[in-house]
Amino acid sequence: MFKRNATCLIFTTLLLFSRICYGQESNYSIYKNDNTEQLEEFRNSNTTSEVESSSSTVITASEDGSFPEGIQEPPLDPSITIQEGLSYPFREKLYVKPLPNNDLLTSFQFKMNSEEFAPSISSLNYGQYNHFTVFPKAIESVLHRTDTRQLHLRFTRGFWDAETWGRLPHDGFKSGGNGVELWAIIEAESKDNAYSKWKTLANSLSGLFCASINFIDSSKTTYPVTSFQPDNDQGLPVFANSKNQLYLIRAALANEPICTENLTPFLKLLPTKGKSGISTFLDGHKVFDSSWHSLSVDVITNCDVNQDKCKYETDAVVDMVTHVPYSLARNKNPIPKPLPAEQLRCDTNKPYDAFQCFPLPESTETEFDLSQIFGKTIKGSSMMSDIPSHICAIITSKWDVSIKVNGELFGTDDNCFELDGMDEYDLYLASSDTSDVTTLNEEVPLHVSRSLTGYGQDHGGLRTVFQNPTPMPITAIYFESLPWYMRLYLSSLKLESIDSSNLQLEDVIDSVYYNSAIDHKRPSHLEYTITIPANTTLAISCQFDKALLHFADYPPDANHGFEIESAVITVIKPFKYQIRTETLLLSLSTPDFSMPYNVIIITSTVIGLIYGTLYNLLVKKVVRVEQADKLIEQQAGLKKKLVAVVLKLKSKVVDRIKQKKVINFYI
Amino acid sequence: MVMPVKESHIVLGCFVSRLLVSFVFPSLQHQLDQSVEFSTPMTSFKSIQEGIYMFTKGLPTYNGGVVHHSPILIWMLSILPSQLFITVLYAAIDAYIAFQILQISKHLKYCNLPNYIFGILYVLNPLVLLSCVSKSSIIFTNVLITTALLHVLQGNIVFASMAIAAAGYLSLYPILLLVPLLGMIASWKRKILSIITTIITLQILLFISYEINGSSWDFIDSTYGKILTFSKVFPNIGLWWYFFVEMFDEFIPFFKSVFNLIVLVFIVPFTIRFNQQPLFAFILCLGWIILTKPYPTLGDAGFFLSLLPFFNSIFGYLRYPLLSTLLILHAVILSPIFYHLWIDLGSGNSNFFYAITLVYALGIASIIADLTWAMLRNEYDEGKPNYNVKVTQI
Repeated sequence: MFKRNATCLIFTTLLLFSRICYGQESNYSIYKNDNTEQLEEFRNSNTTSEVESSSSTVITASEDGSFPEGIQEPPLDPSITIQEGLSYPFREKLYVKPLPNNDLLTSFQFKMNSEEFAPSISSLNYGQYNHFTVFPKAIESVLHRTDTRQLHLRFTRGFWDAETWGRLPHDGFKSGGNGVELWAIIEAESKDNAYSKWKTLANSLSGLFCASINFIDSSKTTYPVTSFQPDNDQGLPVFANSKNQLYLIRAALANEPICTENLTPFLKLLPTKGKSGISTFLDGHKVFDSSWHSLSVDVITNCDVNQDKCKYETDAVVDMVTHVPYSLARNKNPIPKPLPAEQLRCDTNKPYDAFQCFPLPESTETEFDLSQIFGKTIKGSSMMSDIPSHICAIITSKWDVSIKVNGELFGTDDNCFELDGMDEYDLYLASSDTSDVTTLNEEVPLHVSRSLTGYGQDHGGLRTVFQNPTPMPITAIYFESLPWYMRLYLSSLKLESIDSSNLQLEDVIDSVYYNSAIDHKRPSHLEYTITIPANTTLAISCQFDKALLHFADYPPDANHGFEIESAVITVIKPFKYQIRTETLLLSLSTPDFSMPYNVIIITSTVIGLIYGTLYNLLVKKVVRVEQADKLIEQQAGLKKKLVAVVLKLKSKVVDRIKQKKVINFYI
Repeated sequence: MVMPVKESHIVLGCFVSRLLVSFVFPSLQHQLDQSVEFSTPMTSFKSIQEGIYMFTKGLPTYNGGVVHHSPILIWMLSILPSQLFITVLYAAIDAYIAFQILQISKHLKYCNLPNYIFGILYVLNPLVLLSCVSKSSIIFTNVLITTALLHVLQGNIVFASMAIAAAGYLSLYPILLLVPLLGMIASWKRKILSIITTIITLQILLFISYEINGSSWDFIDSTYGKILTFSKVFPNIGLWWYFFVEMFDEFIPFFKSVFNLIVLVFIVPFTIRFNQQPLFAFILCLGWIILTKPYPTLGDAGFFLSLLPFFNSIFGYLRYPLLSTLLILHAVILSPIFYHLWIDLGSGNSNFFYAITLVYALGIASIIADLTWAMLRNEYDEGKPNYNVKVTQI
């Protein structure tokens, strides 16, 4: 039933999506002459007015209207100009930040706002207004159908090495735990109603982003109480009627692989579609070849309550950490193979000959173009907004950065560059000491790591270590959602002071929220506020039982274990910061999957044996053996004769068969 | 009540031995509470502690989660100020069971053993000792069962019925023991009185629970509902768990009802067939319940085995005592080993432990069947043993 629903939803979403793509592409018609009539038939009426308004734009393009081809080839023709003052609420920025150990953080940020709209007017009434210029209509229709006021989606893979790399980009607010994470604020009459809208939202996004978000069900869904709160709650009005409430709902899928099929729909949401502007850099092969990457989409509804005006604001971010020498080497040798002996960098202080080579650490001198890492150059600015695309490098004095415009290098004082033409751009980075990076002075407020304890497959423990390296106390909210097959014993929550300070659990933890799990229906949901004193490390542990599941509830590879989603720690004092722990792999005990029939048969036999024995004992008469024999003989009078007849017949038949056999044998 | 010197020594010995084991091996409680033989989701001390924790913090105790104990039990234990008091309470209750077994043995007609033997056998029973040290909540049910038994023998029917109602309130299936209990009551009037007392007591207990649980009935589902529907699938030494792990989805409700029927099925037949030996019928029913219930522990078996010496006069008729003993020994010794092989080492699979649960079931069943036979044979001989007569059933 549910599966069919999900497929249906995905199908409708895809349909919607294809429609939306057309709607989106019509944005490109600003590059065309006044051929709106031709496009009319596959354009949504709401975008028509916008196109008409821009139809006077001076644009050259193919006259035959084959505009999909026109899009694939970005307009590099210098004769193309854009009308002064034409701009859409679209911004894009690219930050490049070298990290220690020759890693490089690149952060692509896209902001897309919708036009203002009045929430009191139904958005199905297309004639009334329009608000899709650069804002992805695919998202709007999903938001509208599910009454979602805020939507936050994260696709993250990899391990952020905070001790080396420092703070997470955007203070951790734009990256999720490993896998997919989704939370939303949904307007609904009741919690049940909110949940059904949430299911619709998850299924729609599943189709939109080609991810298994449709696997979100009630056993993975939580309603966070103190975590994930929106920043500005006055900007979140209730649209329909005052009886409705806003519900914050969250779920995460830790075992979801993040791949290029998630990036493609992500790029389609952008008005530039990865064809111009900084998004041209985004190539699936390169993004997912990085050691850490995170895709995020945040849509918020920002309302001016007094004027009955709202608009959607979308932040789409791609962050990734690339190991530069690895990427460069990959360009030289797409198939990794051993280096020839003369290219090996050997430590000459150690034994070193034709057979031995202790490798030196990586060189601290570097020189590369960003296009060497991404395999492409930037094809012009986005040409969408009044603010041109932006590229910034966050570097120290030992680094040099300059922009390459059509092969010529230019530099600036603040290491930021504006791409304001339709040229070919690239960024050139060079350093004499790559270990000198800006992150060295950054202070990570908190390191948190979580691990499983215990060795058996029936019981276990969770241990979370909080390390505060700063000289001030840190207050944070700990959020954890554990699957129901981990039966958590909250009474076993215990604090272990690692620094031998005599802290008690009550000293560090206050305001605990706990909602225990229900089998198959609800996860355990634990939230607490924790204050870690300055320069202190402490561990909080908790015991749990592992359930044995019904044999059909195990995934195909049951002995691999179950991925447990990461815990989310939101630092609230002295500043805001968010971190997530690693995911865990929980191994449960497994039954023998080949045994169903055997078990049913054997257990039933044992029960039958016991029942039969006792039944016979209770109902039968107790007599002496001689009496019993006599009784049997008396009862057997008629029976005996019958048996005799049967035996006689039988012997005759048997004899015949034997005779026949003999005859046959002789023939 | 004045106890003879020997009996008071036994009771005191019971109390001291439990305390001593708890204090000398402080980690033993935790180990046993984690062991599959002495702890089930329905009886484990961890679950009681979680209940006490949630109850005292004002959290919803029965809204999902891991608490499956009755509200009154949790409330009573939450009053105790520390773990020490709980340890003392468990030891005291075990000593009280020993005392009641001594008292029950005084009511036996055919008994050629001195009374104190029964007490000593209970105190020395390792299964009972370990179950008490593990702080399994089964001890509360056991004490109520012996209370019921003692009081019905003493003729105090109201109190006996109350005790059996309370036992049923704590762990559901002992309420079935009301049937053999009625068999021990002579007149119909008193039988009806007993039934009415039981019903009223149950209602009062449930109502008190309702009040304690913040005017909510959700504890019914978390306690009895979870037992009846066997929704906490966790390995134990019973017959249910592997059957329902491996059963096909469509048939689970059907087989759950069948398994529940099996628990009921021999209660009335035993009572009727052995209406001349009502105490025997009572203990046979107890054995049948611990064999067929969904969450059995070795603590149940220990309690049942400690009551068997009452019938030592018919032990001569047993046909395969050696087989029964070996089956039980085999199961008790191998079950922790096979469980360890499966869960901790991964060198064995679940079938190892499953096989042992079958052996255990056969062991208990062979004891029950053999005892039934012995009693039938004893009835045939009209109480005067004549082992030379060859007797059969037809």
